[in-house]
Amino acid sequence: MVGVTPGDEDELVRRIARGDGAAFDELYRRTAPWLAVRLRRRCADDDLVAEAMQETYLAIWRAAPAFAGAGSGDAVGWIWTIAARRLVDAFRRRERTTPVPLTALPEATVPAAEDLIVDAVVGDALGEALRLLAPELREVLQAMVLDGLTVRETAVLLGVPEGTVKTRARRARIALRAALS
Amino acid sequence: MSRAPSRHVAATWLRRYAGGGPGLPPDVAWAIEVHLEVCARCRARLADAAGRDPAINALLGRVHAHLQAEIPHSPRMPATTRRRATVASWIAPALLPRLIVTALVVLTAVGLDLVSAEAGHRLPSLVLLLAPVAPLVGVAVAWSSGQDPAHELVVASPRAGLNLVLRRTVAVLIVVIPGLTLAGLAVGTSPARWLVPCLAFTTGALALGEVVGLHRAATGLALAWAVIVVAPSLITARPSLLLDSGTSPVWVAVTVGVAVVLVARRSAYASLPSGR
Repeated sequence: MVGVTPGDEDELVRRIARGDGAAFDELYRRTAPWLAVRLRRRCADDDLVAEAMQETYLAIWRAAPAFAGAGSGDAVGWIWTIAARRLVDAFRRRERTTPVPLTALPEATVPAAEDLIVDAVVGDALGEALRLLAPELREVLQAMVLDGLTVRETAVLLGVPEGTVKTRARRARIALRAALS
Repeated sequence: MSRAPSRHVAATWLRRYAGGGPGLPPDVAWAIEVHLEVCARCRARLADAAGRDPAINALLGRVHAHLQAEIPHSPRMPATTRRRATVASWIAPALLPRLIVTALVVLTAVGLDLVSAEAGHRLPSLVLLLAPVAPLVGVAVAWSSGQDPAHELVVASPRAGLNLVLRRTVAVLIVVIPGLTLAGLAVGTSPARWLVPCLAFTTGALALGEVVGLHRAATGLALAWAVIVVAPSLITARPSLLLDSGTSPVWVAVTVGVAVVLVARRSAYASLPSGR
C-alpha cells in the first residue's frame, strides 16, 4: 500500500515491468479477489478457476513490460482480457482429458423483494429485457458482449457447438431489439 | 483510474455478487461487472466481501503459493517501445551484419584502388565496378524467410507487402549510398557514373525477387555482374563501357521499366511462397 495512490493499478503494472516483486504482490492483493469472484461466476470448478488465475498472473508478470511500453492505460481491463482467455484455455485443456461439468444454469429468477426495489432504481427497458431473456441466450451475450470473447471461445466456455453460439446470439439480439422497440 | 465513478455498488449487491450463485438479476450483475472494472474502491470493497468466503480465500492462497514458486524462474517479454517499433518497421532483422560486410568490401576496394594508383597501374577503379551491386548485400534480406526468423509473422502482418520491402530497401540505400559516395571521392570516382546503375540493380533485384525470391535474385544479379562486367574489366584492364557516363539514359530507362514491373507484380511480396 505504501507509496501507491488508491486505484493506481496502471502504475503497479509499470513497476512490475521494472521487475518490482512487491508491486506484483500488491497488484495480486488488489485484483485477485475481484478476478476470483468474476471467474467463479463463469466456472463452477474451482480447480479450473485456480488454473486460469495462475496462468493470468504469470502472463501479467511476463507481459508487463510490453503493456507498460505500449503506454495505453486500463490495466484492469487488460487483466480481465487475459483472464477470460486463460479460462477458455483451461476449459480446452480439460476437455481433452475429461468432459467438463456444465455450469448450472441460473434458474429463471422470481422477483424477490430486493429485486422489486432494484426495479424501481434500475428497472429500465434493457434490464427488463435481459431478465426476461432465456438463461442460455443470456450466457452467450455475457460471454460475447461483456467478456469480449469470440464465437469460438464462447463455444468452448459454454460447451456448445459454434453454430449454436451464433444462433443463440442472433436470437438474443432479436429478443433484445423486440423488447427495446 | 483517472475517471473515478461518482456512484458505487450497494453493499447488499456486492455481497450477493461475491457470493456467486444465481441470486442476482442479470442486468445488475452486468452493471456491477462493468463498474468493478473501472472502480478501484468497489474492487477493494468486493475483496472485503469475498474475504469472508473460505472457498475464495483457499483459492487465493493456493494461486498465490503457486505464483511464488513460479515467478522467480519465469522468462519475461521485452518491452515494445515506440522507438523499437519504428526501427522494426524500417530495418530488416539480419541487416546489421550485412551492412558491416558491405562496408568492409567497399573499404577493401578503396584500399586496393589506392594501392594500384600508387603503383602506377592503369586498372579500372574497383569501387566503381562494385558500386552498382553494393546495396544488394543488404537488400537481399529485406524479404527473406531464410534470414528472418519471424518472416512468417511478418508476412501475416498488415504492413507486409511491397511497402515494407521498399522501406527496408530505403534503409539500406540511406546507409550504403553516402558510404559509396565517400569511397568514390577517396579514389576520385564521381557518383554520376554509378548512382543510376546502383538504383537500377536495386530495383531489378526487387522485381526479379517477385519471381524467384529476393535473396536468389540479389545473389544472381551480383554474380552476373561479377562475371559479365567486373572480371572482364579487371582482365583487360579497361573500364567497362556499361559504366561510361554516356550510358546513363539507358540505365534510367532500365530502372523505370523494371520499376513498372515491380509495382505491377507487387502482390508477390504479400504472400508466403514455399522455399524462398
